[in-house]
Amino acid sequence: MHLKKFIEDFEEAVEDVESGSLSGETVYRSLEVWDSLAVLTVLSMVDAEYGVRLKADVFKRGETLAELFAVVKELSTL
Amino acid sequence: MSRLGRFQGRQILLVGATGNLGAALARSLWEQGAELYLTGRNETKLSLLSQELDVPFCLVDLSTSEGRARLVDQAGLLDGLVYSAGVAPLAPVRYLKDADLEACLHLNTVVPLILARDLLKSKKLKTGSSLVWISSIVASRGVAGYAAYAASKAALEAAARCFALELAPKGMRVNCVAPGMIQSEMADEAAHRLSDEHVAAHFKAYPLGLGRPADVASAISFLLSEESRWITGESLPVDGGLLMGLSSSGMH
Repeated sequence: MHLKKFIEDFEEAVEDVESGSLSGETVYRSLEVWDSLAVLTVLSMVDAEYGVRLKADVFKRGETLAELFAVVKELSTL
Repeated sequence: MSRLGRFQGRQILLVGATGNLGAALARSLWEQGAELYLTGRNETKLSLLSQELDVPFCLVDLSTSEGRARLVDQAGLLDGLVYSAGVAPLAPVRYLKDADLEACLHLNTVVPLILARDLLKSKKLKTGSSLVWISSIVASRGVAGYAAYAASKAALEAAARCFALELAPKGMRVNCVAPGMIQSEMADEAAHRLSDEHVAAHFKAYPLGLGRPADVASAISFLLSEESRWITGESLPVDGGLLMGLSSSGMH
């Protein structure tokens, strides 16, 4: 499981962001596309692609994609 | 507490008795004199509710034909059936898992139909009996993330209309209740998948405020009762005015 792939999956999930424009340091909540549907979509993507069922409050635990990835990696059994 | 009421002596099978709505309905029907038979998936909750009301229960897995056969076999001659079991996988279609979609359509749509069919074929439904299936307001509205759930409930409502026509000559009725989001486990589960802001905005959209399980139980009781004897094939929204409010705002 790699951060690079996770960021690609995130970009595909939220759509409307240029491929390769995000990095581990990106504060995802500041993205223009970050809204309630993006929240649900990213949670669903993580569930479908990484087998991790997160709750929406996970987004309060960190700000960057690298921090979000760390949570997913910690919980994933894949 | 008096057990005299409009359901005195009437046998009602309640499927999905362990959720917030099911439990509220069980207590309401019991207070109105119903002779209840409960089923559900949570053995602990089912057992406690059964003890509280001193009514029988049957712990079965309704997703299996064996489980349904056992329930039909053990059920008495029924005046009413309420199907309140269900699941609501919340995900955009792009990330909807096969298993979640299939389980949702099976438990929310296929099982209530098959159960009703089997009760009918086993002659467990009395002439004049009333069937009430729990639908949802999403059956008639597009809500992002709810494709599986909405499809299952819209199909259930469509089936209810057809079934109602087939049963009308026997004086039997089939109706749906379509609640908005009420205080329940399903709402809690949805809230875990949505942002706080989204949940707060949704609840704020109900003109009559947040609904309680008892509010929906009252509507179900009405459709089970003789007071609704000339109503069949309908889906009754119980949503604190949400759909009305959305329709009105959409006109401006």
